[in-house]
Amino acid sequence: MSPMKTPPTAAETRAALARQAAFAAADAAALDGLLSVRPPEAGPRPEPVWDEATVVSHEVVRERYRRLTLSCGTIAATALAGQFLMITVPPHGGERILLPRPMAIHRRNPLRGTIEVIYGVAGRGTTALAAVTPGQRLLVTGPLGRGFEFPAGTRRALMIGRGVGVCAVMGSVEDAEARGIRATLVASGRTRGSLIGAAECAELGARFIPVTDEEGSADLPALGALLRSEFAAGPPDVVFVCGAGVLTRLAAELGAEWGVPVQASLEAHMACGLGYCHGCAAPVRTDPAVEGPLVCVDGPVFDAAV
Amino acid sequence: MSETPRPTTDARRTFFAARPTAGATVDLGVSIGGLRLLNPVMPASGCFGPALGRLIPVDELGAVVTKTVFGVPRGGNPAHRLTEIRAGMVNSVGIPSRGAAGYLAELHPHYRALGPPVIISVGAHRPNGYAPVVRDLGAAGDAYELNVSCPNLDRDGTDIGSDPDAIESAVAAVRLETDKPIIVKLPVLASSIAECAQAAQAAGADAVCVANSIPALPLEAYTRAPAIGNVIGGLSGPSIRPIVLRLVWLAARSVDIPVIACGGIETADDALDYFSVGASAVQVGTASFARPFAMVEIVRTLQQRCTDDRVAGIRDLIDLWRAQ
Repeated sequence: MSPMKTPPTAAETRAALARQAAFAAADAAALDGLLSVRPPEAGPRPEPVWDEATVVSHEVVRERYRRLTLSCGTIAATALAGQFLMITVPPHGGERILLPRPMAIHRRNPLRGTIEVIYGVAGRGTTALAAVTPGQRLLVTGPLGRGFEFPAGTRRALMIGRGVGVCAVMGSVEDAEARGIRATLVASGRTRGSLIGAAECAELGARFIPVTDEEGSADLPALGALLRSEFAAGPPDVVFVCGAGVLTRLAAELGAEWGVPVQASLEAHMACGLGYCHGCAAPVRTDPAVEGPLVCVDGPVFDAAV
Repeated sequence: MSETPRPTTDARRTFFAARPTAGATVDLGVSIGGLRLLNPVMPASGCFGPALGRLIPVDELGAVVTKTVFGVPRGGNPAHRLTEIRAGMVNSVGIPSRGAAGYLAELHPHYRALGPPVIISVGAHRPNGYAPVVRDLGAAGDAYELNVSCPNLDRDGTDIGSDPDAIESAVAAVRLETDKPIIVKLPVLASSIAECAQAAQAAGADAVCVANSIPALPLEAYTRAPAIGNVIGGLSGPSIRPIVLRLVWLAARSVDIPVIACGGIETADDALDYFSVGASAVQVGTASFARPFAMVEIVRTLQQRCTDDRVAGIRDLIDLWRAQ
């Protein structure tokens, strides 16, 4: 049993809301004019399926997240790095969740036929999802969307994730290991105890750089300086980023300095994940008389350039 | 020894394989004007696209319905375009459209390739705006559904479909442009759904669809800020079913043309609720998001119920229970 949490005070809730609002405003401002739809991929995307995935395990991970391991062989075998799932959340405690929730595929294990997602409990949907137990079956649809792609000839890659955004880039760390690409993952978060990715990087042979708000190392100037020094001898060939607009802007600025491409993964409210509900307008500047790109099918990975 | 990925299957594949055998099924066919549908189940406009055809055997549906096509391209609303509250889903996508020409060139071939009759949803901002779009679409649609009820665009949620005179003039003008069946999709907020349905019938419509999402204003917790970019959106999902059941009941009593029910249908039993109050067909919207196979499951369940009870169709199935 997990220990009972004291409910936050009104002042704590207001502080958290103010933090979220500031983050959202900074995010939107940072992404303005930064993103564009990637050129068409070379090959076809894997065909999406829906499956009754068995929950293999469901556990608390780090300070504030949960890891859900699902047995769904087709998706495990076909998902590309940076693609996502729609998870239909079963009813819990009289609470019905109508819309499936989009979640990045964190790990793929085609041999076992399993995938992992990591999420934070944030609202009604994730609160209900947190109640599922091993052995239960979850309806999932995927793999969906446009993932991260290494440019031809990539030898070194930099991945940057903020919070649970690390999960969106983890598939590319897996691919890097399989292709002999040297990967560096920067995990940014509020506290050391919240960071995801250290164990995964150790397993995959990637360099892991933790940066946090509490230590000041996640502050943008500090992080920029750290990365410039880290890659002083030679820049990475590509940068993948997810989890915060301000980090995406930093990545794009570094990419411009280094002369290398930057790809950024976004999240959005969406209902279908396939493009037909048109719910997930991407923050890409377009002619207002014409519909702009959608996060689910034109992304979630976009090109980012200053 | 190197491991290879184990052979795998998935629920989608199993679902496709479970297609009922042709000939072994009850005829659930229904007519909308001169258009014969294999069965009375179809998607609600805006909750379907050719992409869903990759996940389900779409050819088991009675029809497909396009996202609303406007005459000229439209961009759609700012984020967030949708949210979920306890009462249901609220959306204000803003109906992005490629316009009639863009629809015909880029989208229509994909809808046509799905197999079932294609009902093209048509939108406009004025009563006289529908006919030119239908003219531009020509013979492409097997039927046209006039979306006079999109609640999130005009005049704070009121719209053309709440005014019988406006409905009559819109339908009469479209009637001059096409011999294909005309369906009028009515809104929830009509002063009299009966008068609106009668106006559609009088002007030559072949069916009415009742209803659409309900204008609503979702707020964020604590801050009470609007939860969607357009402030006002349309509420959908199972919570609106009793509201729409009343409207379908009222409409079906007031006109002779078929009534297509649309509002919170998730299961065959939900569909049977609507059939029992006079609907001839049903549209499924929000349910497809969480359960992509919901529409096909409804068709198969209706078939199975008729087969199990050895009855010829849905009317008999309802009568059988009514007699208890």
